[in-house]
Amino acid sequence: MSLLTVSQLEAGYEPGLSIVKGASIHADKGEIVVILGPNGAGKSSLIKAIAGIVPVTGGSVVLDGEDITAVPAHLKIRKGLAFVPQTENVFPLMSVEENLAVAAGVFRGAAAPIEEMFALFPDLARQRRLAAGSLSGGQRQMLACARALIVRPGVLMLDEPSAGLSPKFVEQVFARLVEIRASGVTIVLVEQNARAALAIGDRAYVLVEGREAHEGPAKTLWDDPLIAELYLGHRKEGVQ
Amino acid sequence: MIDLIGYGAFFLSTALIFAIITLGLNLQWGLTGLFNVGIAGFVAIGAYTSAILTTPDTPDRIGGFGWPILAGWAAAMALTAAAAGFTGFATLRLKSDYLAITTFGVAVVVQLAALNAVGLTGGPFGVAFIPRPFAGLQSDPLAFNLVNLGIIAAVTLACYLALERLSRSPWGRVLRALREDERAAISLGKSARSYRIQAFAVGGAVMGLAGAVQAHFIGFIAPDNYIPTLTFQVWAMLMVGGSGSNRGAVMGAVVVWAVWIGAGWLTSALVPVDWQARAASLQIVAIGVMLCLILLGRPQGFFGPRRGRGME
Amino acid sequence: MSLQFLLDGLISGAMIGLGAIGVTLTYSILRFSNFAHGDLMAWGAYAALVAVGVVGGLAGPIAPLSFGLPLILATLFAMGFTAGLALLLDWLLFARLRARGQAIIVVMASFGASMALRNLLEFLFSSSPAYYSRALQIAQPVGFGIRITPDQGALLVMTVALVTGMHLFLTRSQRGREMRAYSQNPALARVTGIDVSRVVRTTWIIGAALAAAAGVMVGTLVQIRPLMGLDLLLPMFAAAILGGIGSVPGAVLAGLIIGLSEAAAVMFIGAEWRAGVAFVILMAVLLVRPTGLFGVTER
Repeated sequence: MSLLTVSQLEAGYEPGLSIVKGASIHADKGEIVVILGPNGAGKSSLIKAIAGIVPVTGGSVVLDGEDITAVPAHLKIRKGLAFVPQTENVFPLMSVEENLAVAAGVFRGAAAPIEEMFALFPDLARQRRLAAGSLSGGQRQMLACARALIVRPGVLMLDEPSAGLSPKFVEQVFARLVEIRASGVTIVLVEQNARAALAIGDRAYVLVEGREAHEGPAKTLWDDPLIAELYLGHRKEGVQ
Repeated sequence: MIDLIGYGAFFLSTALIFAIITLGLNLQWGLTGLFNVGIAGFVAIGAYTSAILTTPDTPDRIGGFGWPILAGWAAAMALTAAAAGFTGFATLRLKSDYLAITTFGVAVVVQLAALNAVGLTGGPFGVAFIPRPFAGLQSDPLAFNLVNLGIIAAVTLACYLALERLSRSPWGRVLRALREDERAAISLGKSARSYRIQAFAVGGAVMGLAGAVQAHFIGFIAPDNYIPTLTFQVWAMLMVGGSGSNRGAVMGAVVVWAVWIGAGWLTSALVPVDWQARAASLQIVAIGVMLCLILLGRPQGFFGPRRGRGME
Repeated sequence: MSLQFLLDGLISGAMIGLGAIGVTLTYSILRFSNFAHGDLMAWGAYAALVAVGVVGGLAGPIAPLSFGLPLILATLFAMGFTAGLALLLDWLLFARLRARGQAIIVVMASFGASMALRNLLEFLFSSSPAYYSRALQIAQPVGFGIRITPDQGALLVMTVALVTGMHLFLTRSQRGREMRAYSQNPALARVTGIDVSRVVRTTWIIGAALAAAAGVMVGTLVQIRPLMGLDLLLPMFAAAILGGIGSVPGAVLAGLIIGLSEAAAVMFIGAEWRAGVAFVILMAVLLVRPTGLFGVTER
């Protein structure tokens, strides 16, 4: 059985205006699952709905056999589901260390010590006293990951971690994700940068108009002419 | 009978003066969404301006300008508009709370000036001998009251029609759009701010006019007239009437004033004398609770247009 | 020229600063300016007055102070009572309006609540001033021509202790960090696992308890009146904005600046203009530097 199973999920900010329209995805333990799709397909809304910050209007989210659809956002992380938003994903006026401390403090005993995170992200250790708002984009992304990982989640969901980063940093961040997966964490990754994401992914979904239009192994997806055409075609339309 | 008509005219005159203030607030809040907690201050600026400019010479106080009443009213509108405009200029590029806090401060400072700038405002004793329109009729109280009611009703009607026209004009439509769509407001940037400043200033001018009209109706003003209770009453009037609707503003003013007078009359009839000051506080408590209940349960008020045009 | 005004300014600045902590926390966490905050202060002062009436016989004053254990106990009671009142108001009124998402409606409701609370005090206790103690205090010289009463000294120490405690709480404790995190990014706070309703509760409790402490301080050093909170509202708002919204040290420092400016105005211009000082400072901040001394971003 899958660790995370999302079935027929409907979600949106306003009643009657769903952005996610019956999407079903699943992630097995230790997998990196990539969610691709044109702009406006609802990728970001889909993981936000799973995380509990976009209202869910239908369908279900099951984590490790437990239905957590209606669990409020701040309790979902206690169930082992962590989420890293795309932007504004650190507390800018708090130091790096405080960012981690506040996340760990919610869990008291169950959280990894801050030092463990600094060992995982040595760059952050050097900046521990700096305000998070003064970090570079790549370091901020690292801090956001560390903040999510400190609670030892079963599933880590990331919303476009490569957005706004230079190619060098993208490489670094993605290499980190592979290491994190190696430690047993399941990763659900929403990405615009399809090539980089598919390179590290195990399985991928293509989301179109709020629901999954295709599912397949990540390695072959990029070469699938049909998918490439559909995906790139929509992508061009999506650019405004 | 004649007494009753006289009293009715007096009651209605006071209620309509409140209606004018409420119309001004409706432009600021109902149409534009600008929160003003300093209404008493702006009304006082209008009242004092007109009073100082029209009264005869008095020792110990600047005065003796002896302007005609209408000129006093015009000056009251201009000065209040300027004060409101400046308040808006200082705060409207910031979050809406800053406007609220600043207007609260304006009321505090105006009250302070009214009390202490003795050479300008007469201090705690206020300004007396403010000329009253058609003073020649004063020997016949009934005729005098009715004429005054006529004047005040005419001013109210003029304000009502002008504000109705304004709110239907392209200018009013921009204000409504700004209020309802924050993104549109941001995309308009600087000009959105200038529209809001204009609306706040025009609303202020209407309040100033009401203050001036009242000063000339009563013939005497003092700092005590312009305490926060006044601000509070006007808010209750607009919320009861239904913000966004000029008709609601007028209806709300008359209804709330009737309730206020009725409650005061009841307490003076039923409550023992030494408890009356306390009963008056309870009256304000009741209005405060009512304001909160309306916000919770019926934010569109009672007399505005049906849903769709008022506060959505 | 006597330097006494410096001490007077320091004392009133301490009261303003204590109150402004609540204003700045409410603004940065609950995202509205609470016009009823001054009335929480007055309710705190009266709660202590009632409590002191009940336990007043327990013990006499601690020399050389005008008060003793009864007022200290009464203050603790008043802090708890006022916190409860604030939570009740939030549950009845503010939380429901906040859920609808129009911040300015919450401000208006706080204005209505302020009128109701203040007049309820007038109804219960009448508008004439009350005192915790009628004892007269002799001011002791401390140099530079400044004299201080034992009460003033004790309450200044209390303020320093409360402000230091507050600062440590916000920077060192988990609850405090959660509050700061929530004020900086509410959505991220939720996905970090922070319980928003607990943050909201903590904010009300702290703000109201400090308001009550400030109320008792005003009551001890000046007098207790239903209008005491309203009179301090403008200085408290001005201090919160001058200090930079959300900054506790900023609010306290700005409170002291405003208290000292008021005292200077009393000294050099005239006591009757004192209430205008906060407004002048407020306007200057809004026109020159709306983020205040320690503010970072305009929200």
